[in-house]
Amino acid sequence: MRRAVLATVTTLAGVVVLLSLKPHQSTPAVGAPAPSSPRDAGPSSGSSRASHHAVAGTSTGTVSSTPYGPVQVAVTMAKGRITGIKVLQSPTGAARSRQIAAMAVPRLTREALAAQDAGIDAVSGASYTSQGYIQSLQSALDRAGDRSH
Amino acid sequence: MTTARPATPRGQRAAGRLPDLVPALVRLLIAVGAGAVLALWWRHTASVTGAGDWLTGAGRITGLLAGYACAVLLLLMARVPLLDHVIGTDRLARWHAMGGRYTVCLASAHVLLIVGGYALSSGTGVVSQATTLVLDYPDLLKGTVGFLLLLATGWLSARAVRRRVSYETWHHLHLATYLAVFLAFWHQLSDGADFVTDPPARLAWYVLYGAVATALAWYRFVVPVRQALRHRLRVAEVRPEAPGVVSVYLTGRRLEALRARPGQFFRWRFLAPGMWWAANPYSLSAPAHPTYLRITVKAAGAHSAAVARLAPGTRVLAEGPYGAFTARRRHDRKVLLVAGGVGITPLRALFETLPGEVTLVYRARRPEDLALRGELDAVAAARRATVHYAVDEPAGHGLPMTARALRRLVPDIAGREVYLCGPPGMTDAARRALRGAGVPRRRIHHESFAL
Repeated sequence: MRRAVLATVTTLAGVVVLLSLKPHQSTPAVGAPAPSSPRDAGPSSGSSRASHHAVAGTSTGTVSSTPYGPVQVAVTMAKGRITGIKVLQSPTGAARSRQIAAMAVPRLTREALAAQDAGIDAVSGASYTSQGYIQSLQSALDRAGDRSH
Repeated sequence: MTTARPATPRGQRAAGRLPDLVPALVRLLIAVGAGAVLALWWRHTASVTGAGDWLTGAGRITGLLAGYACAVLLLLMARVPLLDHVIGTDRLARWHAMGGRYTVCLASAHVLLIVGGYALSSGTGVVSQATTLVLDYPDLLKGTVGFLLLLATGWLSARAVRRRVSYETWHHLHLATYLAVFLAFWHQLSDGADFVTDPPARLAWYVLYGAVATALAWYRFVVPVRQALRHRLRVAEVRPEAPGVVSVYLTGRRLEALRARPGQFFRWRFLAPGMWWAANPYSLSAPAHPTYLRITVKAAGAHSAAVARLAPGTRVLAEGPYGAFTARRRHDRKVLLVAGGVGITPLRALFETLPGEVTLVYRARRPEDLALRGELDAVAAARRATVHYAVDEPAGHGLPMTARALRRLVPDIAGREVYLCGPPGMTDAARRALRGAGVPRRRIHHESFAL
């Protein structure tokens, strides 16, 4: 009996300690910058809010592969503003990935439309999918920007 | 053991220390493995945000640990000779029972936490989330069946239920856990976030489970079959020893190659009608002889009662030898053997063969229950050892299991190493009395099969 209590308490404490040692802020996915910092990585670093003020039309982003499957988005722009984001591909392999994508993708779209930028936070619990989404979105914005020059 | 041991004093001393080290080493190894599993989670988890993440994280940790524990539990029961002869079958079984209960709890926590965590982070209800999990996630229908099987065997092994079913029934139902672990294995790889994204981790998991499966197949199937073909054991004679107690003499070929040491036991499967499907553990009640083995059995259940009716010539499959209740546990020259009832069997073999100064205390209910008394007296005379007999009836010849009574019987008891075997109530009392008489815990060697 004493052993059972000891095992339960130790396990519970161990799990709580492990979980609490992890950061509790939703960290941006690797490769995606914090909202305010300028993007300083990648070949098309010139893209920013300023560069697509006169852009219009639809631009398709690159396919960004995540461990759970590919993510690809297309942005529709009018008068330099992002008016729509269409998700062309999202993870469909494992049921968990589908579920995560179904939960995370609409949220990412909402955030991107509000921010008018790819510098959005990753959705917690869907860091890989968020990362893929952000990368594909950034490349779509970059392409839209390049086309306007 | 298949390796020959050097008979030099130095080799013996090393062998004497080995048993103390190995259990600690094995426990350390198990802990290191658990640490590695936790490290896997740590490496794959960037952050824990929100209540859903907390629950899912805890669910993943408990799931990983449960998966690891299943492999360890099966390995403990694989009858690997090194583990068995050094740690002891009974101690491994106790670890297995303890770990089994813990694992069922871990698996249950994993199920609840994952359902709760996923439901919270995707904003769905618990019931619909559970349904989605079971039906849509890869291999999770199998995993669910495996989990329910595990719960069922866990419930069956609970002490209250155990008392109401026979050992054989319980043992066979317990084998369903193999199926449970097999069914639950696949979802770990196809749904576990730590394995889906990490091929090396997946490989390591395959290796872990593959190694355990190989050990199980080898030591629980291939080795016994090979042994049966090689030694061709048969019942030679069944001889009554005491009321309800018989000795079975078995003959076979090349029995010395079994390398059975005094104090060890085999799992015996008598190929007689109604008996062939159960393999019961009985200790050798005499040192193994190149042409015959002997066990002494007391009728306690249907199986042991049927042993008395075995016909000479009956074929026998013996798995073993098993057990660490041997001379190898001994550190000291002076030894005390304490036997209760039919617990005399392994001690009878040790009484004849243990080197040094040996005293035997043998307790039974009535004088006629003192089985093997004639040969114990003969061994005592031959090696000038002492035997103390004690019976509860008639009154006046008893031995209360107290420190004082033991000290009066064996004045130098505190300086002796003790081997103890008997029914659970008696051994518990004896252990307390021995500790009271000044025998350190690590010098009390005890074998029990009461789970």
